[in-house]
Amino acid sequence: MRNRLKVLRAERDWTQARLAQELDVSRQTVNAVETGKYDPSLPLAFRIAHVFGLAIEEIFLDDGERPR
Amino acid sequence: MSKTLLAAPSEPCEAPGRSRRRELLLAGITLLWALVFVGATRLIKSELLSPGALPWLVAAAPCVAAVFVLVAYMRFLREADELQRLIQLQALALGFGGGFFTICGYSLFERVGAPPAGVELATVMPVLYALGVLLGERRYR
Repeated sequence: MRNRLKVLRAERDWTQARLAQELDVSRQTVNAVETGKYDPSLPLAFRIAHVFGLAIEEIFLDDGERPR
Repeated sequence: MSKTLLAAPSEPCEAPGRSRRRELLLAGITLLWALVFVGATRLIKSELLSPGALPWLVAAAPCVAAVFVLVAYMRFLREADELQRLIQLQALALGFGGGFFTICGYSLFERVGAPPAGVELATVMPVLYALGVLLGERRYR
């Protein structure tokens, strides 16, 4: 699964630490999700979507899927 | 997916800062347990203790300390975020599985003449657990 977390974070000029704070997880978790090493649980994916004000499918993409 | 889903309540929040503090507390309490265990073992081996209740109390001291370690570990797990829990799960699998199979395997070596292993063999578990944590931290760094 791919995601647009890094792009969305950059658009808001947020550091990983800032996003981690918003999501109430560790910076390590944000980094692991961003780099695709770890796929978040559905509740965390919802929190990420909520923080960016987007739908989950606008952030997380199937490997063969194009960004919307 | 409908936009209304965005308003879905989030899961109970984990607090990374608090989790870090719990991690440090756990490390401190574990170190304390190790010191109590080593101290109690040496005291009992030294035979300085006069027979009676005292040797039993000294032997019980590490057990009491172990309760604090377990409580601290449970609290740490409760407050860890989901990635940290995954790392812990994998480390526990390595520690418990590796330790169990090492102990079982070595018992066969003892039967064919290897020197008998004492409680020291159980240290394989925490060593493998620590290795598992290090590997997990490295993998998801």
